[in-house]
Amino acid sequence: MFPYEEASWSVVDGPMYMLANTSAPGVFTLIAAIICVVVLIAGQRTETEKAKRFDK
Amino acid sequence: MGVKTVEDQIAELVAQVAALEAASGGGSVTNTMFAETFYYLTIPLMIIIHAGFLAYEMGASRLKNVLSSGVKNILAFAFMIPTFYFFGWWVYWGFPTGIPGAPGPAGISGIEYANAIAWGWGESAQYMGPNIADNASGVFFGAFALFAATTASIMSGAVIERIQTVGFIILAVVLGSFAWVVAAAWGWHADGWLVTKWGVHDFGAAGLVHAVAGFFALGVLINLGPRIGKFNADGTANHIAGHNMPLTVVGLMLIIVGFWGFLMACVIVPGEGWSWFGDKFSTIYGTPITLSALSFNILMAVAGGIIGAWLMTRDPFWMMSGALAGIISTASGLDIYFPALTFIIAFSAGLILKMCADWLENRGIDDAVGAVTVHGTIGLYGVIMLGIWGSGFPALQGAAGEVPTINFIGQVVGAIVFFLCGFVPGYVVSYILKMFDMLRVREGAELAGMDAVKVPADGYPEWSGTPAE
Repeated sequence: MFPYEEASWSVVDGPMYMLANTSAPGVFTLIAAIICVVVLIAGQRTETEKAKRFDK
Repeated sequence: MGVKTVEDQIAELVAQVAALEAASGGGSVTNTMFAETFYYLTIPLMIIIHAGFLAYEMGASRLKNVLSSGVKNILAFAFMIPTFYFFGWWVYWGFPTGIPGAPGPAGISGIEYANAIAWGWGESAQYMGPNIADNASGVFFGAFALFAATTASIMSGAVIERIQTVGFIILAVVLGSFAWVVAAAWGWHADGWLVTKWGVHDFGAAGLVHAVAGFFALGVLINLGPRIGKFNADGTANHIAGHNMPLTVVGLMLIIVGFWGFLMACVIVPGEGWSWFGDKFSTIYGTPITLSALSFNILMAVAGGIIGAWLMTRDPFWMMSGALAGIISTASGLDIYFPALTFIIAFSAGLILKMCADWLENRGIDDAVGAVTVHGTIGLYGVIMLGIWGSGFPALQGAAGEVPTINFIGQVVGAIVFFLCGFVPGYVVSYILKMFDMLRVREGAELAGMDAVKVPADGYPEWSGTPAE
């Protein structure tokens, strides 16, 4: 997971996060964005269902 | 203009060198003052954590217990500071390599070193009081003393509404000035054996502060027992609502504010006696970190935890607990996580939070504020998560092949040690207190309300009864 060939911080002069210089950060960002959207959809559905119980 | 003589040129060069030396010296002084100010400011920020815990557990208490819960929390803070001064600081420097306290390779550990800098008497007293030549010891001690107070506050909320005051203070001192300090010496020090032998990395103290405190609380809760009325005869649990949910939620938000100071204090800055570098920040392990890394990751962790908990509960108490869980679940690797990954891990912590708390409650444990789950279970979850995602990262400053790297087995070993550092002393000391009838208040007092017994003041005079004399 260390983004540099040599396992030493002395060779690091740029990004120091996991899986830097791979496509993983982009994938993580996409997943995080999808989570936000899915949670909003689920939240809207359940809140609407509960609100309907109060309809007269 | 005349031609400069060699003598003039030499004189000019000498003046320039002198100016450069002065500038260099000035830089060093500035660095020292920056380091001192940096840690000094973490202290009031971390006191906000304590204010948050105070509001949180008073809000979670019923009206009849509101002030006694607050008194207990305030006293924990008050006793934590002097006891950490008396011996907690010495334990941290004395035992990183384990027992019997031999010196480690970094040269800043062992009994002899601790004797030289951390006692409030003899030669070492010069580092434990005002000293014009020492800008570091007091502020570094202060930051650590506030970590200690945080551990006591974590335990404090779990045991509200039935614990005796003095018994609680004894437990708080054991936790805050000894148990977590041992874990910190072993896993949060360049000479710590968990670091040098196993590659344990716990930058933001998910295990060595949160898990230790959470499982210490579990050990206490087993001996303390549940509040009267918490469980029915068939073992099912009743929800005992606190008197003021808004106060609890605001308290939780204050804890989040204080966390910025807590995590800021986990950074080693240039310019003080223990600095790794003269020109850049590092973690306590000497590995690189920036405040920008913390900013990205703490914010994403708070957000992820809240969203996960909202999806599962819709309950503001659990949502703000989810914010805490988000930070704690990623604290071990806040220096090296990518922000979106931080969000995902924190979200997962928010999702499992309530389920973990329910699991514990179904086993007869009455943890009034979910502290065992939020700090204990999620703390260990965070330590292990870093073993999954951070494997291969150097765990210490040094050349490749000469320093340990973060690895899954090492993080699991760290998690087990942190669990034991909390649970064993919590269980044993509370068991002893129980034997001496110093743990739980009498049944009549618990039913009447602990404010009537312990506090000569009314939290809400228009609503409640006569205060204690």
